[in-house]
Amino acid sequence: MASPLKPTDPHDNNSDRLRTVARYSGIGAQMAATIGLSTWAGYWLDKHYATQTPWFTLGLMLLGTFAALYNVIRAVSKGE
Amino acid sequence: MKRLLFALLCLFSLTARASEPVATTADATEAEGFQPGEMILHHIGDSHEWHWFSLGEDHYTTYLPVLAYRAGHGVSAFSSRELAEGKTYDGLKLEHEHLVSEDGAKVYDFSITKNVASLILSAAVLLLVFTAVARGYAKRGTEAPRGIQSFFEPIIVFVRDEVAKKSIGPKYERYMPYLLTVFFFIWFNNLMGLMPGGANLTGNIAVTMTLAIITLLITLFSSNKNYWAHIFATPGVPKALLPIMIPVELIGVFVKPFSLMVRLFANITAGHIVTLSFIALIFIFRNIGVAPVTLAFGLFIFFLELLVAILQAYIFTLLTAMYIGGAVEEHHDADYQMGGGDGATPAQVH
Repeated sequence: MASPLKPTDPHDNNSDRLRTVARYSGIGAQMAATIGLSTWAGYWLDKHYATQTPWFTLGLMLLGTFAALYNVIRAVSKGE
Repeated sequence: MKRLLFALLCLFSLTARASEPVATTADATEAEGFQPGEMILHHIGDSHEWHWFSLGEDHYTTYLPVLAYRAGHGVSAFSSRELAEGKTYDGLKLEHEHLVSEDGAKVYDFSITKNVASLILSAAVLLLVFTAVARGYAKRGTEAPRGIQSFFEPIIVFVRDEVAKKSIGPKYERYMPYLLTVFFFIWFNNLMGLMPGGANLTGNIAVTMTLAIITLLITLFSSNKNYWAHIFATPGVPKALLPIMIPVELIGVFVKPFSLMVRLFANITAGHIVTLSFIALIFIFRNIGVAPVTLAFGLFIFFLELLVAILQAYIFTLLTAMYIGGAVEEHHDADYQMGGGDGATPAQVH
């Protein structure tokens, strides 16, 4: 099947449905990983600099949450 | 954990007297010394010998070569038989499956461990299978496939048409070798990990990390200027917001392979732990009546794992293809709802 690429309807068969499931489950895991990783990085920085108030943890956690939400919104609004 | 076990026990021994289950749990975990946690962790972890099974006191084990380097001491190479049951050889011994030097020197462990042996074995299997498939194409060309070739052709075509072409677009061809390799590598190793005595290779975070790093490197090296423009000058975002958006985009670059790594590791390891937990229940209860129930559950999880084996291979390949697709994409589409829709700056889909 060396036919040229042609646009396909995104819900025309099972493999596309599977593809969508995999895609969105990937987005969820990515969201969790973003928040988790940035919180961990903030925690590590707070430990490393022995800060009185955990500003790094707080700041990076918020940044991570923002980044996760931003990426989710962008991924779902992009569509397929 | 105790309470949970107790609750399960009560459930399974409704006909027994109320005082009996407590005694059984205590007997099973203390007198017998069966540690389900230890057994499970030993099973999913790496080790310097390949333990197949034990009959009573007889252990059927393949001893693998140990290769260690210590500064000032040079390379030591010997069979892991010498280290069995906590023995010391050449100043080296095993502490919780970690090779340590008696004099406290740093040990660089290059041993052929169970996972490495399994990796070599699976590489050999993959080579054998796919050279046979390739020979089929060399010999028969575009004729109908035969033998093992006809089993793999639909899968290869699926990866090409459904994964690569749809995610990457017209430039998909040069990424096919990697996508097919990673798909079959993960699938074969997942299945080999499910076989009795198999090693938990794809449930090892070092293996999944290596795969994720290769994906990251391929994505970065095949990225075009649109990919980087999207990170450092996200279209539709005001200049004042860029100091926030650049870190957010950079986090995204590294989180993608990170989530690939964790997903494969967690799925495969969790499957092994759940299956083993059901099997271990028999030995915790020491009651034959439990066996049908736990075996039924264990078998169910096992069949689910057969599905997970190919599903995780597919997801890893698909997401890899999508990340590559995002990196090689030419801008042709408006990034709608995220600004750039006024036509002033041509926006591109990430």
